[in-house]
Amino acid sequence: MASKYVGQRIKRTEDPRLIKGLAHYVDDIRLPNMLHVAFVRSVYPHARINSIDASEALKLPGVVAVYTGKDVAGIGPVPCAGALPDLKVPNYRVLAQDKVFFVGHPVAAIVAIDPYVARDAVDLVMVDYEDLPAVVDVEEAAKGGTVIHENFDDNIAYKLTAGEGDIDAALASADRVIKQRIVHQRLAPIAMEPRGVLARYFPGEGDLTVWSSTQIPHLLRTQLALMIGIPENKLRVITPEVGGGFGSKLNVYAEEALLGWIAMQLNKPVKWIEGRRENIQGTIHGRGQIGYIEIGCKNDGTLTGLRYNVFADLGAYHQLLTPAIPTLTGLMLSGAYKIPAIQINVTACFTNKMATDAYRGAGRPEATYVVERALDLVAAELGIDAAEVRRKNFPAATEFPFHTATGLEYDSGDYAAALNKAQSIINYQQLREEQEQARAAGRLMGIGISTYVEICALGPSNAMPAGGWESATVRIEPTGKVTVLTGASPHGQGQETSFAQIAADELGVDLNDVTVIHGDTGVVQYGIGTFGSRATAVGGTAVLVAIQKLKEKANKIAAHMLQCETSVLNFESGKFTREAAQAAVAGESTPVVPVGEAPAGALPEPETNGRSHITIQDVALAAHLAKELPPDTEPGLSATYFFEPKNFTFPFGTHIAVVEVDRETGDVKFLRYVAVDDCGKVINPMLVDGQIHGGIVQSIGQALFEEVVYDEQGQLVTGSLMDYAVPKASQVPWMELDRTETPSPVNPLGVKGVGEAGTIGATPAIVGAIVDALAPLGVRHLDMPVKPEAIWKLIRGQ
Amino acid sequence: MKIEGTHQLNAPRARVFECLIDPEVLKRCIPGCERLEATAENRYATTIRAGVGTIKGVFNGTVRLEDVRPPEHYRIVVEAKGSPGFLKGSGDLDLEEANGTTQIKYQGDLQVGGTIASVGQRMIQGTAKMMASQFFLALEAEAKTEAGEAPPEHGFFRTALRWFSGCIRRWFY
Repeated sequence: MASKYVGQRIKRTEDPRLIKGLAHYVDDIRLPNMLHVAFVRSVYPHARINSIDASEALKLPGVVAVYTGKDVAGIGPVPCAGALPDLKVPNYRVLAQDKVFFVGHPVAAIVAIDPYVARDAVDLVMVDYEDLPAVVDVEEAAKGGTVIHENFDDNIAYKLTAGEGDIDAALASADRVIKQRIVHQRLAPIAMEPRGVLARYFPGEGDLTVWSSTQIPHLLRTQLALMIGIPENKLRVITPEVGGGFGSKLNVYAEEALLGWIAMQLNKPVKWIEGRRENIQGTIHGRGQIGYIEIGCKNDGTLTGLRYNVFADLGAYHQLLTPAIPTLTGLMLSGAYKIPAIQINVTACFTNKMATDAYRGAGRPEATYVVERALDLVAAELGIDAAEVRRKNFPAATEFPFHTATGLEYDSGDYAAALNKAQSIINYQQLREEQEQARAAGRLMGIGISTYVEICALGPSNAMPAGGWESATVRIEPTGKVTVLTGASPHGQGQETSFAQIAADELGVDLNDVTVIHGDTGVVQYGIGTFGSRATAVGGTAVLVAIQKLKEKANKIAAHMLQCETSVLNFESGKFTREAAQAAVAGESTPVVPVGEAPAGALPEPETNGRSHITIQDVALAAHLAKELPPDTEPGLSATYFFEPKNFTFPFGTHIAVVEVDRETGDVKFLRYVAVDDCGKVINPMLVDGQIHGGIVQSIGQALFEEVVYDEQGQLVTGSLMDYAVPKASQVPWMELDRTETPSPVNPLGVKGVGEAGTIGATPAIVGAIVDALAPLGVRHLDMPVKPEAIWKLIRGQ
Repeated sequence: MKIEGTHQLNAPRARVFECLIDPEVLKRCIPGCERLEATAENRYATTIRAGVGTIKGVFNGTVRLEDVRPPEHYRIVVEAKGSPGFLKGSGDLDLEEANGTTQIKYQGDLQVGGTIASVGQRMIQGTAKMMASQFFLALEAEAKTEAGEAPPEHGFFRTALRWFSGCIRRWFY
């Protein structure tokens, strides 16, 4: 493959329309006679609904309908894809039935002529609640007390023990065993565009179209069809522009089914755009684990075993992947290290809160944080440098594929190379000396290192709830333009650009001649979607192989047109050329495509007469005119491929954060930030940098600012962006990015995935740096978000 | 959430207490109170227009007086629901007499839910203190009048004036 585009910093072709405000999000789509939906949501974390009186709301001019739990009993429950043994699955109806289980739980849906009337009507619906005791603390939930779902005996959704090796023996044989309780606070994904749904029903055709801001249009179509009870082939899901997902739109939500159902009831288009307060209440949260680490090591720093007992705060219900997230934590507990014995004990509990589910990283940031914090604890305990204790426990580059005690086969890696590069960029030795001087001068300067590994390109189908493959169709249209239909559903990752790069290089066409279409189940073949850093590794490979299939056919047609054997055809830069010897023989041939009437009248005939080469565009036209194709050749020029990877991929890297803590205020200031990431082969370095930037920023959010807080009664306290603190540009340091490149053997592109690397690698480096800064005060660990208040108290010995 | 404070009222304790259990007086003194009707002994139905910052709404609920020991103590229990959420609270009021003035100590527990909790929680303490201060200023004005006398007015400017003169009194005396 000639690399004219792949590997180049090509600007995103998506951006001009986004920057100019010409893109279409769900809210930009307005249909005639469209009605608007607003939701009455529970203000109680746990309560019985005695009655709902919507009479006043219905009297408000402009209100069309009010639906409550009993009206929508026919809609199927919100689905959960978790397939764990003995998993308790509560019946998650689209509107609350006789009880509410979290603040924000939808109780009634109001339909009105405009969004403002609908919103006003929300205040007029009188719900008589009978307050019930709320279960808020996950560790308390595990102990017993109030049971949230009456049909279960307790609040424990499932318990799971996993891992290989004799953990008891491993810890017993250790010279030191270090224990630490750590908290992964709940986070809100805060996509810039909240969720939004528009649904339209054509009763004559029986066609329902749902526009939704989702990451998984096809999976959503299947699930909505089942929930609403409409044939899947009568339902079309369209995903227009999506303003960020981060996993929060890798889901099937009650509102999506309700909007589809309401459109069918009223025979009018209905729209709902989530508000920010609704978004923080009723869109999935991430993380939410409290765990206990036990790590054993020898006096020289060699790790012997890791046990992690974790309480996972699932919230009141399962959303699509809620129970699966802690299992991903378990899978990644070996980190980038050789740990002979690993055990995870998960106790996953229901609480009166919104469900947790996949948020950028989805279980892996938790694992990486556990392992990296554990390595820092070992380093501090033994007085070894944080970089050295890591290097000591890396598998060598020659040990890949590397088998972990969590049962995974890491595809490829060179962890020391990334660490070396990061250390050399930041001038590590000198930095440590500077730190010594700073400490001597009374300054609190800290260096944090994270040598993470993550699991990406999800994944083999047998490890996934709903298929781990991805699809692509590549067509060359009669005019020579290339259309790529991908089953992935990019929503900010830039695959309209990177897939076009792959296609343009493979076909030797101009980048601008390739259009990548996604996110419309009426147009694109079934696909899985974009999540788990999979779209390029799995979906990009599908594009590549589909093109290779297409080229086989194009090759045959070209050979026929040039009257030679396919074996003597060369394809380069978009041209099929006969090898020299053959060309001379074939020189006297007659034209292969006879002159005749083109079906479309205006289409030009491919001109091959006397030429030794033809372009792929010529072939495409010939394939569509189909007047002279090789025998038994289907007309048209398109190919579809469904790529099923044999394994996950395991990107890795080293992040180093350097911070200084202000003694007076407890404020944390970044001095430097270096990230060396290895995501295998890189299609577009600019896109990779963008993914790393965004991920690190969200990591800074988790490390320093963000926290979804429910008070003791279960009330959501951080319900707006006044109280839920996302990082601002001024709080983000300059990031010095670099890469190493270890291709993945799992796919022919050699790519690994990079969408979540930043949120996985950065958090432990930042917290590690703060802890390192405070080490002279005897600090070994701090829980996130590390707020100035906590540091200030520590400094003052409070 | 704990709420507590002290207020010095320039009126005799017996009269202050009388005002504190008179629904008509309370209705006039509680900021935003639109209705306070006795439903049984020491039980009232109430409508209060209140808000925190931009979150405003009408709350309907009940007020209960317990452990009434004139003229020194009672306990007030409030439960109200409204469009921005709900609030539940209880508080103890203790009255002490000193040189013809009355010192009221209050301490209570307040629970809020809904939008008020998720958006306004940080401001609730401040708002509650402000409302308490408005209430006691109005109460003081009421207590300065004799039973049966025409009640004082509690418009915005009068309250502001009372607050201002109260400040001056504290600063300069």
